[in-house]
Amino acid sequence: MPAVSIVLAGVVGGLFALGTFLVLRRDLVRVVWGVAVLTQAANVYLISMGGVREGTHDLVPVLAAHGGAVPRTADPLVQALVLTAIVIGFGTTALALVLTYRAYEENDTMNVQEWQ
Amino acid sequence: MTEQFVVAPLVVALLGVVLTLVLRRRPLVQRAASLGGTVAYAAAVGLLAWRVVLAPDAPGAAAYQLGGWPAPFGITLVADALSAFMLVIAAAVGLAAVAASIRVVDRANQRVFYHPLFHGLLVGVTGSFLTGDLFNLFVWFEVMLLVSYVFVAFYGGPEHTAAAFRYLVLNVFGSAVFLLAVGGLYATVGTLNMADMVRRLSDPVAYGIDPAPVGGLTALLIGTFALKAGLVPFQFWVPGAYRAAPLPVAAMLAGVTKKVGMYAIVRLFFTVFGNAEAGVDLPWIPGASPLALLAPLLLAMGIASILVGGFGAVGGDTVDELLAYSSIGQVGFIAIPVAVAAATTSASLRRFGILAALVYALHHALAKTLLFLSAATIQGATGTNRLADLGGLAGRSPPLAGAFLVGSLSLIGVPPLTGFFGKLFVFEASIRRVVTTPGAGGMAGLAVLFLGALLTIAYTTRAWLGGFWGQAPPAVERARIDPAQVAVLVALSAVVVGVGLGFDPVYRFADAAATAAVDGSAYVETVDPAGGDPV
Repeated sequence: MPAVSIVLAGVVGGLFALGTFLVLRRDLVRVVWGVAVLTQAANVYLISMGGVREGTHDLVPVLAAHGGAVPRTADPLVQALVLTAIVIGFGTTALALVLTYRAYEENDTMNVQEWQ
Repeated sequence: MTEQFVVAPLVVALLGVVLTLVLRRRPLVQRAASLGGTVAYAAAVGLLAWRVVLAPDAPGAAAYQLGGWPAPFGITLVADALSAFMLVIAAAVGLAAVAASIRVVDRANQRVFYHPLFHGLLVGVTGSFLTGDLFNLFVWFEVMLLVSYVFVAFYGGPEHTAAAFRYLVLNVFGSAVFLLAVGGLYATVGTLNMADMVRRLSDPVAYGIDPAPVGGLTALLIGTFALKAGLVPFQFWVPGAYRAAPLPVAAMLAGVTKKVGMYAIVRLFFTVFGNAEAGVDLPWIPGASPLALLAPLLLAMGIASILVGGFGAVGGDTVDELLAYSSIGQVGFIAIPVAVAAATTSASLRRFGILAALVYALHHALAKTLLFLSAATIQGATGTNRLADLGGLAGRSPPLAGAFLVGSLSLIGVPPLTGFFGKLFVFEASIRRVVTTPGAGGMAGLAVLFLGALLTIAYTTRAWLGGFWGQAPPAVERARIDPAQVAVLVALSAVVVGVGLGFDPVYRFADAAATAAVDGSAYVETVDPAGGDPV
């Protein structure tokens, strides 16, 4: 197993831990941050599912493809999936921010526990 | 030619979104287009069901490869009997809900993108039922959810914002877990096409895959789908969200989008992972298939849902709160036969369990829509939904009372209404399980089904006594009950009675759907994911 995979596993775990921690906060803005971090954690996981290999010269198309044969590339499917997931996550986070502002207007507080 | 019918409902629903959006400055035309769009949607679904499943010369299932990309590379839409059955439920509920919305939701609110959003909900639901691609299922789920968030926040009061925010955060978490499962399954099985997954999992050695992680990954899926279906312990968003959303939309959420969660469980666990040899290695889980893990979990969640939903509904103060809790309990009634089907090794009982769940899902969608729309009419006429402030509605409007009574009796399971067959099959599946394989789990499930049935009688009686009998308070005396709304309710109760009376074709349709659900090889044959094989 390449060292990158272990680092990625650590990063995904750390992001999920951070996201979960933030979602459980009382401050609404932190909850939105948590939502954003969680979706990104899932994205990092998804991209790492395409398989990670050491970046050699012939793995990077732009370095090797000029003039030569097209080299093997990383799995493009997971990248397409992640793009879709990023867009969805972006939309959801934007909506969450709007709802946060709305909740602030209504309750004059960012603290979830002080909601009526 | 049959393939085009598969994609038709999706296109019609999308056109509905576009059309109602374009016509937003002409409210009258927009409302007409919205209703016309739903009628066209129902027609497209009817044609699909007839040409693909019900007609004498129908192929039974058909696949549409989007963009002409062969499976497993492109996204495949698959309509088999199971998808068609669920689409028919969606079309029936959608049509009734839009027809009622036009009168129930006030004009100013309807102009605030109500109709485009409603058709967006239909798009998400249709896509979820039709797609044959795991990641695409995630996308349709998100389409459905994004629209539901807006609907829950629709009225813009503090409680609506709070409900929408909770609903959103929970579902983002659920979606992240879903993505983990999708990514993991892709890395393990090497495909996202569901039919290709069936093929690869049935012969892992030939395809050079190690299916061991599939067991754990499917456990993630159980969690996500249970959250969408609102099963206990993931039920806490349900009452808030259903009470915050406009009532016709609440009917749609309870009648259709909840069923999407149950549909996804049936589709993935029975059709796709049904024959996979990849269980979780736990001492109390016998067998080595994802179904072995699903069975006890779903049984426990079903039992807990019936109890929480039933007792919550008995204690509800308003009609909509009562109905929201009731729908938690009723999903439990759908979960238990699915759990029976997952637990059993007998092919006939497995099919029958799914059949029971499907008939119950149809019944619940119709009856709950009828009741939610009745609640909307009551709310519109009297300005309140609190049982304590209501009473005597039976004298004020016998047709409204009759519609509510039909919905309640169907929920209880009185013959010859649709609910009778739902309850009958759910109990039969559960009893057959207990008889063939006696065990504590099966007995507990059966006992809770009985208790749940009693609780259903208790809370529907409570709603009836509180709302319809007794002295009419001033709010009810002054009430002006809209005849157009009552007409929709009467039509819907006629459907509830009619489906019960003419149950034979419905039974055959549900039977075909259950057969399709457990037959992975037919699914593979329909999709034909051989595009990736070396020639």
